Amino acid sequence: MTVLEQTRAPRSEAARRRRSPLGSRWTPYVFLAPAAAFIILFQGVPLAQEIYLSFTRTSLLNPTRSTWVGLENYAHIFGDDDFRRTLRTTLVYVVACVAGSVGSGLLVALLLNRNFRGRGIARALVTVPWAAPGIAVALIATWMLNPQYGIVNRFLNAIGLGVPGGTILDSPTYALPAILVTTIWQLFPLTSVVLLSALQAVPKDLTEAATMDGAGRWWTFRAVTWQVIKPTVGLLALLMTIWSIRRFELIWLMTKGGPVGSTETLVIDLYAQAFDSKQLGTAAAIGMVGVVISLIVIAGSRLVARGAAKEGLR
Amino acid sequence: MNRLHIGLTLRIVAVLAVMGIAVFPLYWMFVTALSSDADLFASEARLWPDFSQFGVFVDALAEGETVRWLRNSLVIAVGTTAMSIGLGIPLGYALSRFSFRGKVLTTVVLLLTQMLPEALMVVPLFSLFNRFDLLDSLIGLILANSAFVLPIVALILKGAIDGIPRELEEAGRVDGARPLTMLVRINVPLIAPSIAAAAVIAFFHAWNEFVFAVTFIYAPETQPASVGIASFIGEVGTPVQTVMAVAFMFTLPAVAFYLFAQKYVVAGMTAGAVKG
Amino acid sequence: MRKPRVRRATVAAATVVGLAAVVSTGCGSDSGSGSGSDGGVTTLTFAASTFGDPGRGPQLQEWIDEFNASQDEIRVEAASVPYPTFGQTVLTQMGGGEGPDLVRFDMPEFEAASDAGLIAPLDDLIDVSEYDLLEQPDQFMVHDDVRHGIIFEASNYAMFYNADLIPEPPTTYDAFFETAQALTSGDVFGLAFRQTEAEEAGVWQDIFNYVYGFGGAWSDGENLTINSPENLEGLQAYKDLYDANVIPRGADAATFRRMFAEGKVAMELNNGGYATHLRAESPDLNFNVAPIPFPERSQGAILAPIVINEASSAKDEAATFIQWALEPENQVSLQEILGASSVATATERTPESLQELPFLPTFDELTDSSLPQIVLGFEAQTPDIRKIVVQNVIAALQGTVDLQTALDTAQEQATELVG
Repeated sequence: MTVLEQTRAPRSEAARRRRSPLGSRWTPYVFLAPAAAFIILFQGVPLAQEIYLSFTRTSLLNPTRSTWVGLENYAHIFGDDDFRRTLRTTLVYVVACVAGSVGSGLLVALLLNRNFRGRGIARALVTVPWAAPGIAVALIATWMLNPQYGIVNRFLNAIGLGVPGGTILDSPTYALPAILVTTIWQLFPLTSVVLLSALQAVPKDLTEAATMDGAGRWWTFRAVTWQVIKPTVGLLALLMTIWSIRRFELIWLMTKGGPVGSTETLVIDLYAQAFDSKQLGTAAAIGMVGVVISLIVIAGSRLVARGAAKEGLR
Repeated sequence: MNRLHIGLTLRIVAVLAVMGIAVFPLYWMFVTALSSDADLFASEARLWPDFSQFGVFVDALAEGETVRWLRNSLVIAVGTTAMSIGLGIPLGYALSRFSFRGKVLTTVVLLLTQMLPEALMVVPLFSLFNRFDLLDSLIGLILANSAFVLPIVALILKGAIDGIPRELEEAGRVDGARPLTMLVRINVPLIAPSIAAAAVIAFFHAWNEFVFAVTFIYAPETQPASVGIASFIGEVGTPVQTVMAVAFMFTLPAVAFYLFAQKYVVAGMTAGAVKG
Repeated sequence: MRKPRVRRATVAAATVVGLAAVVSTGCGSDSGSGSGSDGGVTTLTFAASTFGDPGRGPQLQEWIDEFNASQDEIRVEAASVPYPTFGQTVLTQMGGGEGPDLVRFDMPEFEAASDAGLIAPLDDLIDVSEYDLLEQPDQFMVHDDVRHGIIFEASNYAMFYNADLIPEPPTTYDAFFETAQALTSGDVFGLAFRQTEAEEAGVWQDIFNYVYGFGGAWSDGENLTINSPENLEGLQAYKDLYDANVIPRGADAATFRRMFAEGKVAMELNNGGYATHLRAESPDLNFNVAPIPFPERSQGAILAPIVINEASSAKDEAATFIQWALEPENQVSLQEILGASSVATATERTPESLQELPFLPTFDELTDSSLPQIVLGFEAQTPDIRKIVVQNVIAALQGTVDLQTALDTAQEQATELVG
């Protein structure tokens, strides 16, 4: 840093300032450098390796010896019915997670966005699930869903909605919903906290005026509240999408992707390929598919956001 | 008047229901830990804790292992938090305040890293860590976890700095302050809530992380709690009460930390999220 | 004016770097390979999933402590690898040229690792002719005349039953089925076995007894025979029990074994290692053991070899530990810890243990008819074949396909896999 500035010594202080409002033009790179070096080393290098691996046949037991196979891994996974099912499951899981967590978060935020006694305690308690470690959540959820002694089955039986045999995580029909409920339980605190703060920005006098004018609650919500919180909802949806595509622990610990592949998402498939089947090449190819999907989602969300902004101007 | 009354009652019921749903699984963890075998496998559920079984917590703590696991988790979580905040502030600042070549690329790369699952990176990171002699050390886990949370931390902080009027810095520059000084003196205090929010995210990530920890750690001395709990799941049997007791003690510090930082988090998350 | 400021920034940067250095030296432990040398003492790490067993783990630790006390040059430490990810974790570490010095593997992972050259050949390290090794299990430790492991534990499968609920154990499959059905009522189940995908390795162990007990086999040594008529018959017997609702469906092994201990499950097919666990956890339970009452007297056995990591930098020291373990008195104490399992060499059962576990001869008589849970001729691919078979069998249990189709699919997928 010092060296760089010394080479620029002939330039006057004033000229330097004029060129960039905040120090020399190297300044941003100086701020950037430590984090960039760190990310390149611990994310970039491994990622580059994974991209390479996805074009090879490589065993977990001998990861330094790879055979180049070109696009074979990609051809293999896309020709595989099970992989198509995995993609479908991932889609269902992600969409349901996003809709469920943002939807329930919004409902809870609206509920808590009122003045009532004990609001502080309510807000604090509601956020507890988010702080609970994934492995602890998986353990208690599995125990609560235990077919014979789980409290969930006992409750469902008591109200007459019991599942035959009580098998929930062991049933191709109910396993995915059960995992979804657990995931959303963990996510809704985060979405509701963020949306609750976004709701503070809604001008009170506007909603009050609308209500005075006899507008229905739904109309007020759509015309005023929704317009203010829309960007936040969009951003949350994007984050939830990306995080749901890569969620691992909860599903792996609860079902390992079973039964009959009914809860097998991309990441579960990836892990199984890499560590059960020991096929690092196939696993890397699956990982790349996931990354490309996420990139498409991001690009799509940018387009939608831009479109929405244009519409707003009109 | 009557309708209003019903609405109020409904709302109170709804608030109580949401609170119940949020807290019940943790309560149930506690109750399960404090159940005798007979209660656990009875045909009727016991809905309240049996405090005569409190020995399960005492035993778990007396073993010494639990305390060591929690301490290791704490070191990893605090280290990751410090590291990612320390690197994230300058990165967020650069992204917010400067226009430079490669800025869009940097932002895209940051978002991209948010999509990489740990499971994908385990094998290449393992060989990298092996080369740098970082296996079986808490430092290694701190570095690995920091790499995974740094991007989101930086994005949150960038959003927060975006929200600070540039005029405040203009004033500082007239005084001849340099960028680093300005960042530390002017911006950092103003974005304190967002730093708290980012810290919470980093802390939770590292506190909970399992995939790296289980692969990179061999020695019992360096094992964190997430792996420790998994080690109770045995081939022949799993002691449900002990697992739940340890899981509960594993959950409490995270919840306590969250409740402590909560009021900053709410403010910070908004600053980061809304401006994104 | 500028100079001091630059210096301040430099000082700040230096402080950060310095702090990082302090933290790293403070927290980092020297590892390199699993082994380390400190003041003349070589420290070896030993990974075994059994260290986590509440019944046996602490005693195994004491057994290792005896070794540590016996000399002052080598120290063996238990590595911490949780059972649920044991195979994946250790194989990742060993594939990366790292990992524990000593590993107690289960057969499928042992075969995969030795095939990949991750396990050190023992012929030059240990002279096995000095020991009286049990032949039947030991033959699986040698591949193409190269010895890769020594039996740490061998444990045959038999039928455990609650003697309060079942005075006379069934001796035919039909009687077994009827007993299971008769005892299932309310919250008591006649039988329990593993049937969830989350316990893939366990399901494989359990269905192995049905396949071999009905005269089937996974291969004839040259070709896979997953969909042979005998296998279909055996697995149909397994599925019939599932369909008859005489088992706690969806319960994992940890849960149904607690249920067995509480008298809520009447029968279970399990290996000898379970006997010690039951005695330790539920001293009052009145249980007994009989051979599995299937048409053929042929059942699975857990074979667990102890091996030396090829990447270990202290192979000789690791071999010293194995030699210590093979000494007669240490074999006896290991035998006592493992209970109804046997160890590498023939040991006399002591009168005390025969009194405590009167059914020990039942287990010992099964040794000649017990087979390791691998696919003969395709040993190294056992984990992959296991995954395919288990997934398809579970699909049949869940009713998404019929059993014949499931086995045909498994045969096809596995044949494609082994090439």
